[in-house]
Amino acid sequence: MRKYAFIIKTQVMSNLQYVFNLIFNYISYFIILFIFFNIWQYIYSDSTNLINGYNLNQMTWYVVITEIIWMTLNGRKFCIQISNDVKSGNITYNINKPYNYIGYVLSTHLGDILIRIGIYSILGVLTGFLFLGRFPDLNIFSVIIVIITIFLALIISTLLITFIGLFSFFIEDSGPFYWVYSKLILVFGTMFPIEFFPSIIQKILNFSPVYVVSYGPAKLFVDFSWNNAISIIIAQLIYLAIAYLMCYLLYKKGVKKINVNGG
Amino acid sequence: MLTAAKNQLKVTKLSIKYAVMREMLNKTTFVSNIIFMILNNACMIIQWIVLFSLKDNVGGYTFQQILLLWGMSSGVYGVAHFFFDKAFSLANTINSGKLDAYIVQPKNVLLSAITSNVKVSAIGDIIFAFVMYFIYGFNITTFILYILFLITGGLILVAVSIIFNSLSFWFNNTDMVSDTVNSLMVNFSTYPEGIFKGITKILLFTIIPVGIANYIPIKIITEFNIYLFIINISVCLLLILISFIIFYKGLKKYSSSNLMSARI
Repeated sequence: MRKYAFIIKTQVMSNLQYVFNLIFNYISYFIILFIFFNIWQYIYSDSTNLINGYNLNQMTWYVVITEIIWMTLNGRKFCIQISNDVKSGNITYNINKPYNYIGYVLSTHLGDILIRIGIYSILGVLTGFLFLGRFPDLNIFSVIIVIITIFLALIISTLLITFIGLFSFFIEDSGPFYWVYSKLILVFGTMFPIEFFPSIIQKILNFSPVYVVSYGPAKLFVDFSWNNAISIIIAQLIYLAIAYLMCYLLYKKGVKKINVNGG
Repeated sequence: MLTAAKNQLKVTKLSIKYAVMREMLNKTTFVSNIIFMILNNACMIIQWIVLFSLKDNVGGYTFQQILLLWGMSSGVYGVAHFFFDKAFSLANTINSGKLDAYIVQPKNVLLSAITSNVKVSAIGDIIFAFVMYFIYGFNITTFILYILFLITGGLILVAVSIIFNSLSFWFNNTDMVSDTVNSLMVNFSTYPEGIFKGITKILLFTIIPVGIANYIPIKIITEFNIYLFIINISVCLLLILISFIIFYKGLKKYSSSNLMSARI
């Protein structure tokens, strides 16, 4: 584990050089939050109204949290990076190293995430407060649980995107698969809570990645309950194991297709 | 003058043709890029189905009009990125000294630089735009207008991108600014202007001309208005003119980085 901790540390140190860029990039996300705040203000003509169990305050905070996860992940860039590693043959440099490739990409991405989650959480929460003028009702324990679920969500997402990126072993460009995956997560888990969909779709979403990578942490932030917290964390741990296994098996199968031509 | 313009058009056409041929080398990737982009855009319709289940109209738009707005938005993006994809990374071309390769050509530098690459997935955006239009309802007049507005909208998007990317001639790190403006244009274009108020609405029709490129065309297609039509065409031409002026003014400041590279 020490070698992976070292990779994370190196990546964190490297990312500290680009803090200004991260803050500047936040402008795009601020605009998305601004658009959503305007939409929900329009839909909730009366801010005390409840729609599918959520008021305006909860809906806005829900989107803030899911967007923080979304922007921290920066999945598109990460997927392209893995896909390029495979396509360009750079992945061969990792085969003879004393670490597991999946562990390596997970560690490097976690190193990237650690700085981003810090900055985007602060800016995101300030944005939410700027729009609404108040924070949701949370205590120190619920905040700790929410933070744990956010980290688990980020690790699971990283593994799922790694899985998609590794498809490049079999088709040249796995990017299009990521577009569809990301749009499904965006529509079914980032923009709206699961309760906004028909009951049959809700049942499917409760077992889908949407529940663990997006809906779960945000739901706990806006409407905390210990029952929900336990079921979300259990689901996340199951998904974590499945996602890692899927990556491991796909990598094992894909790596056999590598041809080293020298150079 | 006319012959020069004709020659330039021929070169631009060839440049795009060869870029497409290059991308078609791997047919599976080429086709999957297009199909998945259509699916990618179609996913976002779910968002509007949910919102329209809560309210009959959103920002003064009916569901049909929202589909048309989505079509317009993806089509405009598609036209801009298919034909002029390099306009969106022009700052990088300038900063890295890659403009040298275009300066030595006896053709228009700006056009050569921005048409040297195509984005295959943008074909999916354009197809999606037409699918949305046919769902909205076909009519020969609105169809011609729709195609015209996809072109003017695409050119507006490209012109704005060139203007902000050209800042690289004078300042460092302006790619972050141009990327932000580009993402603002795309993000705002898929939501009806009726949900925005005050200063935001003014910005959408001025600095971030999404209103001219996307909202006005929807209004014209829904109910023809000659004044709005003139505004759309005039702003498009004006922005193209400004983008050329700024780029060529900046080009005088450009200095080569002695970068040796082969363009294949």
